[in-house]
Amino acid sequence: MAVTAPFPPPVAARAPFDADRLLLAVSLLLPLAVLCLFFAYPLVVVALKSVTEADGSIGTGNYARILGSPSFWRATRNSIEMSLATMALSLTLGLTVAYALHRCRLRGRGVIQAMVALPLLAPSLVQGLGLIFLLGRNGLISKMLGIEVNIYGFWGLLIANTLYALPQAVLIIGASLRNTDARIHEAATVMGSSGWRQFVDITLPSIKFSLLSAGFVVFTVTITDFGNAATIGGNYTVLATEIYNQVAGQMNFNLGAVVGILLLLPTVLAFYLERVASNRQAAAVSSAATPMVVQWTPARDIPMGLASWLIALLPAITIFIVVIVSFTQLWPYRFNFSLRHYSVSVAGGYDPLWTTVQISLFAGLVGVLLQFMLGVALQRVSRRVAKLMYFACLLPAAVPGMVLGLSYIFAFNLPGTPLYYLYGSAALLGMCNVMHYWTQAFVATASGLRQFPAALDETAACMGAGFLRRVVDVIGPFALPTMVAVFFYLFMRSMVTLSGIVFLITSSLSVASVSIMRLDEAGSTSQAAAYATCTMGIVVAASALMWLSLKLFGPGRKGTS
Amino acid sequence: MHLQIEHVSKTFESVLALDDVSLEVGEREFVCLLGPSGCGKTTLLRLIAGLMQPDSGRLLLQGQDLAHVAARARDFGIVFQAYSLFPAMTVAENIGYGLKIRGTAKAEISRRVAELLELIRLPQLADRHPWQLSGGQQQRVAFARAVAVKPKLLLLDEPLSALDAKVRAELRLEIRALQRALGIPTVMVTHDQEEALTLSDRIVCMQQGRVAQSGTPEDLYNRPATRFVADFMGVSNLLDADVMRRIAPRFRAADALGGGPALACIRPEHIVLVPGKHDGQVRAVQFLGNLSRIHLDVGGTLLLAEQSGQTAFAVGDWAGVEIGDGAGTWVRAD
Repeated sequence: MAVTAPFPPPVAARAPFDADRLLLAVSLLLPLAVLCLFFAYPLVVVALKSVTEADGSIGTGNYARILGSPSFWRATRNSIEMSLATMALSLTLGLTVAYALHRCRLRGRGVIQAMVALPLLAPSLVQGLGLIFLLGRNGLISKMLGIEVNIYGFWGLLIANTLYALPQAVLIIGASLRNTDARIHEAATVMGSSGWRQFVDITLPSIKFSLLSAGFVVFTVTITDFGNAATIGGNYTVLATEIYNQVAGQMNFNLGAVVGILLLLPTVLAFYLERVASNRQAAAVSSAATPMVVQWTPARDIPMGLASWLIALLPAITIFIVVIVSFTQLWPYRFNFSLRHYSVSVAGGYDPLWTTVQISLFAGLVGVLLQFMLGVALQRVSRRVAKLMYFACLLPAAVPGMVLGLSYIFAFNLPGTPLYYLYGSAALLGMCNVMHYWTQAFVATASGLRQFPAALDETAACMGAGFLRRVVDVIGPFALPTMVAVFFYLFMRSMVTLSGIVFLITSSLSVASVSIMRLDEAGSTSQAAAYATCTMGIVVAASALMWLSLKLFGPGRKGTS
Repeated sequence: MHLQIEHVSKTFESVLALDDVSLEVGEREFVCLLGPSGCGKTTLLRLIAGLMQPDSGRLLLQGQDLAHVAARARDFGIVFQAYSLFPAMTVAENIGYGLKIRGTAKAEISRRVAELLELIRLPQLADRHPWQLSGGQQQRVAFARAVAVKPKLLLLDEPLSALDAKVRAELRLEIRALQRALGIPTVMVTHDQEEALTLSDRIVCMQQGRVAQSGTPEDLYNRPATRFVADFMGVSNLLDADVMRRIAPRFRAADALGGGPALACIRPEHIVLVPGKHDGQVRAVQFLGNLSRIHLDVGGTLLLAEQSGQTAFAVGDWAGVEIGDGAGTWVRAD
C-alpha cells in the first residue's frame, strides 16, 4: 500500500458544477416559486388589504366595522351552527355506511359506495338544485303531497351540506375500519364478548381518531362551501355568502378581505386538529394486521344493510333528479321528454363549459408536472429542507377557496405590473385551482413516490444514468399510475369547483359552475339542471377514462417481488 | 483494476459510521465486507459506489482519486439485496440498460444481452417482466445487468440475503464461478459468515466502523485476532489462561498480544473426546443431523465439542479432553 500522510485533508463533497445538481435545484425551486407567487404572496396581500382603510392608511377600522356589524355575527353564528350540525349528521350517517360497508355482509357494496361518492362528481350547487326539485315550492314531493315545505334555509342547507360531505366521511372512517386487526376481535370472541360489546370496547376506541379527523374535514368543507349556501341557503346567510355579498354585491373589497381573514381562523384550527388526529390514527394501525372476515349475522346485517341503502339513495336521487329535470318538458307539471332546456339563455351559452374544460386540463397538467418535480426533488434533498417543504405544502388545504380567490383579485388586478397580464386569463383560474387542491395532490404524489425503492435509482446511477435519464427511464414509469390519478383528481375538482374562482370570472371569461349559479339565480332552474348535467357528463367521462388508463398502466404496479 | 481506500471516515449525525478505514482490493480479487448490522460495511460500499462522500480520507482507482467522480461516471456495477430490477422494463431491457445509456449500437446490445442470458442460463426469460420472475432469477438478472458493461469493479450489497437457504447456496456457487470467469474485482457486503467463507478471496471483518481483521477465510476462521472476530466467524470455546493450564497443560503459552488479557480460541471440532478418561462429564448432547454437539463440564468450565454424525456419548458419561495438534489460537479478549 502506498504510504500516505496520517491525516489526509478532507475532500470537497462534490465537484463545483454538475448538470444533475442544477436539474435538482430547478425541480425544487420552480414549485417553490409557484407556491410563493400564487399562494404566499396573495395571502400576504389579502392580510394587508384587511388592515387598509378606505383612504389608504393602515388601521383596524375594517375589523371594527365588520366586528360591529350584526350581519357578520349572524353569519358567523350560522356558519358555526351549520358546520357543527353537518358534522354531527355526516358522522352519524358516515359511520353507519362505513361500518355496513366494511364490517357487515350486505348486497351491492360497490353500488352503495358509488352512490355515496356521486356528489364528488358534481358542483356543490347540484345537491341544492336536486333538493329544490324534490322539496321546493315546485318540488315533486311537495306537489304530490300537496304540502308546503320551506326547503330554503337551515334544513335544506343542512341536507345539501351533509350529502356533499358524506363521501369524505365514509372514506376516512372506512379506511380505519378496514385496517383493524381481526385477531383482536377473535380474541375478544373467545373471551366471551358479544358483538355489541366489541363495537363499543374495541371498534369505537380504535377508530376514534379517524372519527375526529373526519369530523374536522366535514367542518372545513362545510364552513368553506359556497355553492350550496348560494342555491338553497335562502336568507340563512353564512360567512361564505357574506364574503360574496361584500365583494360581488357591495364592492367592499377590503371588508371582504376582513371576513376572509376571519374565516381562516376556524379553518386553520380545524385543519391543524385534523392533521393531529389523522397522524394519531395512522400511528395506531399495525402493519401485520390480519384482515377481518365478516360472518353473516342477520340481526346486525339486515338493519345495517337497509340503513346504508337508504342513506346512499339520498345523494343518488338528488343528483339523478337534476338529470331527469333537465330532460323534462315542464317540471313538475308536464313530464314528457324534451331537450329545450339545453338551449341555455345564459351569457356565453356553452362557452364557459369549454373554458372550464381548458382550465381543468391546464390545472391537471401543470399541477401534475409541478408535483412530480417537487416529489422527486424532495427525495433527494436534506431531511430539514424536505420537512420544511412538506409543511409548506400542507398549508394550502387550510385556506378556503373563497379566500384564495379573493386574494387573487388583490394580488393580480394591478394595472401596470407584469402580474396584470395574468389577470382575467384562463391560466390564472387554472393556477388558482392548482393551489386550491395543492395539498391533496402533493400528499398523493408524495405517498406514491414513497413506494419507490431507492435501490432502483441508485442502481441506475451506478450504471451511468444521469438524473434526467433516471427520471425518464426509471422514476417516471414507476410513478405513472400515481401521476395519472393526480391528473384526473385535479381535472375533476377543477371542473366542478365554484368557491375558488367565483371572484375571478369576468364578462368574457366564465366557468360552468358560475353559469349554473347564474341560471339558478335567474329562476331558470331547469336550464341550470341541463348545464349541470353537461358538466357532470364530462366529469363522469373523465373518471371512466381514469379508470381505463389505470387499468392500462396497471401491470407495473404489482411490484418486483 | 486496483482499488485503494485510505483513511476513510464518515459520520452520520454525530455517530461515527466509519473510523479511519483503509483497505485494498486487488485485480480479480473477491473481497467480502463482513460484520453485524451497524458495523459500517454498507456505508463503506456506498462510499465506494459514490452514492455517498466520505468526510475524510480518499479512494483511488488505479491511482486516480475518485473524489470528484460521480457515481454515474465511475463505471461500477452494483447488485442490491432485492427490488432493484426496473419494473417497467423486460429482463432483456434491464440487462441492456447500461449499454443503452452508453450509446452502444442496438445489434451489439442484443448480442451482448443474449450472451449474458446464456451465461446466467435464463435465455427463455428475455421478454418477461421482473414481477414474473422468482427471487433467485431476479438476482441472476441483476447480476447479469451489473456485469453487462464490463465494469471496473463489481459491488454486491447482500445480494443473497432475501433468498431461501437452498437458492442462496446454489447462487453462491454461480456467482463465484462467474466472478472468476469474468475476472472483475468484487466487493460484497454480507452479515453471513458462511457466505463470506465460501465466496471470498479475502474477508474484511468490521466492528463499529473499524476493520477488526482482514485476511483469507482460513486466517479469519483458524487464527482470529480478537474475541469479536472469533465469535463472528463461528462457534468457539473461549477460555482464559488459567483454565487452559488446567484442562490442556500442553497447549502453548499465551502469545504476547499487545499486553492485554488473552483468551484461547478453540473451535468445537478441534476438541477430541476420548472415552475411558475422567477429565469431564457430558451435560447435554444435541443431534444436528450431519454432526453432534456435546456439552462437557470440565471442573466447572463448560466446553463445547463437535463430532461428525451421531456421537457415542450420552448425558452423564465421562470423557477425556484433547486438543488437536496445531489447533486453537490465542485472541485478544477486548
